Amino acid sequence: MSLIVENVQLVLGKSNQRVIVLDDVSLNLKPSSLTAVVGPSGAGKSSLLAVCGGLRTPTGGRVSIDGVVISDLTKAARTRIRRDRIGFVFQQSNLVPALTAIDQLLLLVHLQGRRPTKMDRQRALALLDEVGISNLMDRRPNQLSGGEQQRVGIARALMTNPDILLVDEPTSMLDQVRGQQIVELLATECREHKVATLMVTHDHSMLESATEVLNIVDGRLSVGRFANREKLL
Amino acid sequence: MFIALRDLTFAKGRFLLMATVVALIAFLLTILSGLSTGLIRNNISALMALDISHIAFEYNDKPSYRNSMVDREMWEGWREHPSVIDTQPLGHTMFNARTKDDLPLNEVVLWGIEPGSFLEPAVNRGEQLGRLENGVVIASKLVEKGIDIGDVLILDRILTELEVIGVTDEHYIGHVPVIYTLLPKWQEATYGPPGGPPPGEKLPSILFDYASVIALQIKPDTLPGELQTTDEDLGTITIDKTAAYEASTGYVEEVRTVQMIQVFLFVISAVVMGAFFSVWTLQRTKEIGLVKALGASNIYLLKDSLGQVLLLMIGATVIGTLGAIQVGRLMEGSGFPYLLVPETVTFSAVILIIAGLFGSALSLRLILKIDPIIALGREQ
Repeated sequence: MSLIVENVQLVLGKSNQRVIVLDDVSLNLKPSSLTAVVGPSGAGKSSLLAVCGGLRTPTGGRVSIDGVVISDLTKAARTRIRRDRIGFVFQQSNLVPALTAIDQLLLLVHLQGRRPTKMDRQRALALLDEVGISNLMDRRPNQLSGGEQQRVGIARALMTNPDILLVDEPTSMLDQVRGQQIVELLATECREHKVATLMVTHDHSMLESATEVLNIVDGRLSVGRFANREKLL
Repeated sequence: MFIALRDLTFAKGRFLLMATVVALIAFLLTILSGLSTGLIRNNISALMALDISHIAFEYNDKPSYRNSMVDREMWEGWREHPSVIDTQPLGHTMFNARTKDDLPLNEVVLWGIEPGSFLEPAVNRGEQLGRLENGVVIASKLVEKGIDIGDVLILDRILTELEVIGVTDEHYIGHVPVIYTLLPKWQEATYGPPGGPPPGEKLPSILFDYASVIALQIKPDTLPGELQTTDEDLGTITIDKTAAYEASTGYVEEVRTVQMIQVFLFVISAVVMGAFFSVWTLQRTKEIGLVKALGASNIYLLKDSLGQVLLLMIGATVIGTLGAIQVGRLMEGSGFPYLLVPETVTFSAVILIIAGLFGSALSLRLILKIDPIIALGREQ
């Protein structure tokens, strides 16, 4: 299971207001890898995640998961790919306000058109346990701290056994210690569940756990100075 | 409905407020429905009770019971029409009346009919028309005013005396209670001199050749064109029973007024629901974008939202309607022209729910437009 990005270009705006957001970007995510992409604001980090997650169609190049070119698929087909094969971890507070911690996970089962079974519930509980908050399963987002919310987000992203995990600034709202814990948790989950993970961040202090670090500046990707390829399993 | 149900409990304050507004509209609609049916009953119940299919009026662009006058030639002409099963002349005159003891009845409508004909009402108490020349069967409303069997009524100005021999249901026309008498007595009261003919004299026979309208029982498969030729030949205008309701004074205006208020309430309901769910959707834009990014299809989100609207509308409408039914029961016994009919109450409740769904369609469009990319926060 891998995510391959080949020569992707993303241009936004029209005529003289055109902005090249991603310029000839290529990368290859393998199972169990945690690839971090760092760069300043406006460098194209979120756009890269959007293209990889099928939320944006690239202007040029292609994105494929296991040989399926998702950038050529219809909106509905990309939605199904996201639902079944991609897990998203967003910034803090990107949980559904009305749902409890366990319901955030069970929502994904509903999105697949199924009623959660006992096994689904057990899996959700096990995942919450893995991220250390099974005792908070009945709490809503407004009853959880920033770190706890982010743990729910990680557990939710793993609920459907995705092949790809796309992580967006997981530590942006957390202090240094909690941020470090979250990234370590992500690295552990990524290894244990054999998920290919792409994490974008602007926080250089969170890169120790990454198996590979890439820099992005003005939409161009380059190998970063924190590369830890030897950690790749 | 997974998110929708949890939203209802999570944002219960907002949904409770909205449900209260819908419940109040449903309450008002049900009250109006009862009032509308009550007014209709109060206006045309005597006509509704007639076992007829059509009524022939003297030709007029706007036929009315008060102004119509038909003659024997007309009703006998209609009797010969091949599509007519039966026909009867009907006299209609409004009088002020009082009892012999000077108890005023204000207005009453005197209907002259042939005894034993299909126009004769069923009597709840007393006897049918026919035995007494000046006998009358009165609408039960007059009993509430203190009139009963054996009482003598006097029609003002013409001083005709009528004896109450029976009581029928609450029969009104134009909100005025109906008194049934024999057609000759009606003709005497309507066309004859005040106080009746001088002692020992008879009224001219020509007076007995007139009535107000002709009640018709016409075969169901009769085409309108078949009636038109006879109308032209006889100088009448024939309309079916439902259209004949409109010839009753004030009926059209009352029904239209109530209907207009009902339509306004449906529109208000649609607008209120549209506004509420649009604001609610706008407030949840980020959340909806997030769920879309997680893999929710538009169909899933539309079903979820529609389910939420439907649940809110049904719940609030049922509460408002049941509340109005309870209040209505009190009103029914208090002399108001108020009558709750299950079919009309259900109809207005269903239309209210449909109006709410229609109004919320605007918010469904907003849901479709939300781009899941907003889940990534910084890139819109």
